[in-house]
Amino acid sequence: MTESLKLEIERRDGVAVVYTEGYINNLGGEEIARVADTLIKDGHKVLLLNLRGTKIVNSIGISILIEIIEKMIEIEGRLAFCNLTPTIEKTFQIMGLAQYAGIFADEPAALAELAN
Amino acid sequence: MDAGTQEPTWASLLAGADADGIGLTSGLLERWCCSAGLQGAALYVEVEGLFEREHSCGEGNFPRSLSSEAAAELSPLRLPGGLLMSARQAVSQEASSGGMALDPKPQPSAALDGPLEVLLAMVVRNALLERRLKKSRFAAMHRNVEQQALYDVGLAITSTLDLEETSEAILAWALSLLDARRSALYLLDGDSVDRCYRLTHALGGDARPEFTCVDDAVPEDVLPGAAHLLAVRIEIESVPRGFLVVADKESRYGVGPFGEADRATLELFANQAAIALENARLHRQALQEERMQREMELAAETQNKLLPKGVPTVEGFELAGWNRPAREVGGDYYDLLPRDDGRLVVTLGDVTGKGMPAALMVSNLHSALRLSLDHHEVGPELFAGLNRHIHESSPANKFITLLVAQLDPPTGHVRYVNAGHNPAVVLGADGSVRELPSGGPPIGLLPGVSYQGDEFNLEVDDLFCIYSDGITECAARDGEEYELERLVALLQEHRTAPLPEIIAVIDQATSEFADGQPQGDDQTVVLLRRVG
Repeated sequence: MTESLKLEIERRDGVAVVYTEGYINNLGGEEIARVADTLIKDGHKVLLLNLRGTKIVNSIGISILIEIIEKMIEIEGRLAFCNLTPTIEKTFQIMGLAQYAGIFADEPAALAELAN
Repeated sequence: MDAGTQEPTWASLLAGADADGIGLTSGLLERWCCSAGLQGAALYVEVEGLFEREHSCGEGNFPRSLSSEAAAELSPLRLPGGLLMSARQAVSQEASSGGMALDPKPQPSAALDGPLEVLLAMVVRNALLERRLKKSRFAAMHRNVEQQALYDVGLAITSTLDLEETSEAILAWALSLLDARRSALYLLDGDSVDRCYRLTHALGGDARPEFTCVDDAVPEDVLPGAAHLLAVRIEIESVPRGFLVVADKESRYGVGPFGEADRATLELFANQAAIALENARLHRQALQEERMQREMELAAETQNKLLPKGVPTVEGFELAGWNRPAREVGGDYYDLLPRDDGRLVVTLGDVTGKGMPAALMVSNLHSALRLSLDHHEVGPELFAGLNRHIHESSPANKFITLLVAQLDPPTGHVRYVNAGHNPAVVLGADGSVRELPSGGPPIGLLPGVSYQGDEFNLEVDDLFCIYSDGITECAARDGEEYELERLVALLQEHRTAPLPEIIAVIDQATSEFADGQPQGDDQTVVLLRRVG
């Protein structure tokens, strides 16, 4: 059977941190989008995706992440990523996500920048 | 929308139009809601058979996407390339679109006046154009990702010889670039007679641990539960070495089959995998050869240390010893050990096998014999002890043929025990030849064995020769062996020559007998002659 993406959510310093574990594909991307929608409805405007448990993101996953970034821009919020593998970071750079979302080496660096 | 919300005027809509068109779209939907008394509204555009929400306003949990069937059930207002959904009030019933509250019966189309309808149709058209533009830009950027992937995999191959690491890199990129749900790498089991491919690595889900390939096709259930498979062969010099398999190509709307472009991309990765495999194999082979060479050198060094460095001086006797292993390390062993009381112990042993295991047994024998000689005379009791020690400390199929002789120089008296070794010979000055037969099995072969020893006297000018079967079993091209008779004849012919010369003659004779063939077994000769 296919493995599914696991997500954990924590709130830190006014930032909603979403931890991913697994492959961010269509199913995984939709799950992240669903969680992001819920967090936005709860009033969160700063989201940090910590991809510490993710080694692979396919193009469907990337397109969903782009949609999440667009939504955050619409509500004048902010999305950032941290703990990316070198491969994923390179892919995000090429695909342009880095232009609209912050990319940080680790969570402390991200929170230092994003927290109120 | 709230009862107090004012219907946006055309002028306000124009004024509120922003560069992205969001303000205009929002204003148009609000105008419709106000004029038709709706709680909320959403504009959908049609993309690849599904309707995706472009914008919404007011109340109502409009789903992100709707199938054509689900949309039809909700009776929306159609626009070219899209549709409008409305909501009167939020209710808690489930709709077929999945968990939202919708008014299944929107206001009659009269609520959507001509200009509003035209403008919304334009918004839909713009949204479709924008989506097409985004898609083409995405595809162009993704081609850069593909190139980066091939570059990265190439780097991974050259930077590591770890097949596991390289396999994971190849599979991860295959998943990512082909938008596959699962991937797996299978390699041919080299020991398998019936072309069994074993799983090396898998990502994304379960994979069969192995399969047997028939007609070059992978089984349909190689990735259990997968609906669409793509498998390409990994070949090295046109010889199949494995398979790279991916399953279930994703789109936003589900999974489907892979196309020819995907096959071409996967074949590129399969080529990379083949290079990685070959590099890893060659590296493994080189490491193994290096390890074996080091082992051989160590074994040779160990064995060399055990052989006598020179010939001891024994009053009234000439001594000579010679050993030539068939390979770097042999299983023959000899020793010339003077005892404190002036007696000399002469040993010649032949261990089964060659290489490091034989060298270790020789070392074991050397230590055991030397220690035993501190407590025992050369005789049956010494050999019984050696046999017990070697039998208990060596592998079941290993044993040693051994002849140990103890010489009392002043008298020429010799006591010996022969455990399964070739019969030593004593050539008398009077031309007689005496063979010293075996008095028991090789040591280490059987437990609890008793040995019989014997004794004789060496007279002046007698020549005592102990040898290994590498001499007598040296084979000619037609398979005939040199045999003891030829050795005895040679010894008789050269009986009075200096001992080193006799050894040289034996060496030359056996080499000529072998007629250039490689030495098949270790060769050892020990000579004693009483001269006074």
